[in-house]
Amino acid sequence: MKVTVLLSAGLHPVSGRPCPAAVELQAIRLAHTLGTPELTGLHAGPAADAVRDALGQGLPRLLWLETAVEDDPLAGLVAALATDRPDLILAGRQAQGADDSGLLPYALAKALGLPIIADAVAIEPAGEGAVHVVQALPRGARRRVTVRLPAVVTVHPAAPTALPFAFAAARRGTVERRAGQAALRSGAAIDERPYRKRPKLIAKAAAGASAADRLKAATESAAGGGRLLVDPAPDEAAREIIAHLRELGVLRR
Amino acid sequence: MSTMRLRRDPRTERAAHRIDGTARPRFDLAAAAETTGGRLRRNPRAEVERMLVAGTSRRRLDRSQRSVSTPLHIAAPAETAAAPRLIVIEEPAFLVAVVPDAPGGRLTPHDRQMIGAARLLAEKGGAVLALLAEPCEEIGPAGADRVLLVEASTGYDPEGRSASIAMAVDGLGVRHALFPESVDGGDIARRVAADLGEALFAGAESIAANAVTRASRGRRVEQRRAPPRLISLAADAALPYAGAPREARALQDDPMPTVPTRRAILAAEIIPADPARVPLGEAGFVVSAGNGVTDFDGFRAVAAALGATPGASRVVCDAGLMPRAAQVGASGTVLEATCYFALGIAGAPQHLQGIARCEHVVAVNTDLHAAMIERAGLAIVADAQKVMPALLAALECETETTA
Repeated sequence: MKVTVLLSAGLHPVSGRPCPAAVELQAIRLAHTLGTPELTGLHAGPAADAVRDALGQGLPRLLWLETAVEDDPLAGLVAALATDRPDLILAGRQAQGADDSGLLPYALAKALGLPIIADAVAIEPAGEGAVHVVQALPRGARRRVTVRLPAVVTVHPAAPTALPFAFAAARRGTVERRAGQAALRSGAAIDERPYRKRPKLIAKAAAGASAADRLKAATESAAGGGRLLVDPAPDEAAREIIAHLRELGVLRR
Repeated sequence: MSTMRLRRDPRTERAAHRIDGTARPRFDLAAAAETTGGRLRRNPRAEVERMLVAGTSRRRLDRSQRSVSTPLHIAAPAETAAAPRLIVIEEPAFLVAVVPDAPGGRLTPHDRQMIGAARLLAEKGGAVLALLAEPCEEIGPAGADRVLLVEASTGYDPEGRSASIAMAVDGLGVRHALFPESVDGGDIARRVAADLGEALFAGAESIAANAVTRASRGRRVEQRRAPPRLISLAADAALPYAGAPREARALQDDPMPTVPTRRAILAAEIIPADPARVPLGEAGFVVSAGNGVTDFDGFRAVAAALGATPGASRVVCDAGLMPRAAQVGASGTVLEATCYFALGIAGAPQHLQGIARCEHVVAVNTDLHAAMIERAGLAIVADAQKVMPALLAALECETETTA
């Protein structure tokens, strides 16, 4: 099976220096769970320094499409993948280094005419020409999706952690350099400024009020006036509780 | 010398207070006090009156500057007492579409925030249009003027759903379309953007009618521009709509037709989370033990039988009866659960902070006057130790009858 992992010019979350994006290293590990695939990394950008470390974390070969800083990587990636035709294209949930909008895998899938499955935490082979992709859902739930190959799959940060770095493997890995395609980014110019963290908005009643008001907001019943049973028999209490929970829809059975 | 205060002339001041038409000289000193000029006098009694906290038996003063500077408005309760009227927009100048997740036809807090943000974008004569997968009753009070059912084919079919939404957004000439930046909402937003071939302003962190902002380049750069057509909104970035209910009129009688797509997804099944292993902060249903519980094996059995994640109060965790990771409250985990079931917990303020975002609370406690009993939607004044075995027996009895 041919697997290609898309790699972006990540930035270290603390130091801000170039390094591979964590979720893309997790994607490399997920590729290793599919037996022994023919694994290739694919990066489009002005420099490959940031992604070269991925060679030490399970990636044997990296294809680098050299483009200018202002170029849109999509056209070059589409051309490279259309000629290479991998069975599975893995990407992080959100690439780093440019807009960080997470839109590129979707645009790529659209351009190549492939299905896309988001937020994978596990991938298992499912017979000839298909895989099971386990998606992460909120509240710890999972969804197992069977999808026909070839497909694009993006990886969720809840996937297993990346393989440990091995220096010898990093030395052994090869980087193939190719000229990318020049394609100007479309869209309106966007005003940019240094990032400023904004406070999360909380409910108005609690925001400006005094400590006494905030405590009242925290302790008051959200539903407004509940039912009160004083000293019921334990059996009756149990019946009431089960009926109430069932009404709320939290009891599964 | 202009800063120097004018010298008072007590005789003319007194003459100004004189009441005419009486034989004996009379002076009304209180009435004309303001005309004399000079510095205003403080009224310490009125200030204390304003600081008094109403509704407590003991005299309490709120000395924060806020309430002292604001004058009292007595007319306010009359306005709030009036019944909220339905707001109707007959001829909207433009449409702002929202695509809520609404799992099971119920809006999430994130959905409500998104509708609040859409109301900001629709301020000047626009209407908010909700594109729903299934009917939802609470969409009108949440702030939607129009509703359109966009049904996808059965099962998990994000391609079909996004194709229908893209067709609705394009066909209706929607000015802005908002999506929640949640797991499913973010996926649909990007699929729609790819279908329409447009850029998506992903994960907007502040939103107003004139500008939206988002983080980019590893959260080092903030992008800012006028609101584009497709926006996905991060959680807790906007306030939910708090005005009078909107009408939520159906835009057209029949739902949008489904767009035929080539389905590459062969099968999909939901694997429910194992409640015993879900992190407490993510759990949907938490059952928690406090000082009123002594039989912890029984408590764990109850949690397993209910299919809930076990939690505990600080006292129980301090005593080593439950692991520290199970602690609920200000110094433990702040829950996001739908339902919280408190067994033998009185409800210290720090514990109540931990469950402030829980939608429903059920409490069993011996003390009628406990704060948790006041907070609960169903409160039972009884011994948790006696209720737990009864609950186990009732649940077992139910499984036997269904089996």
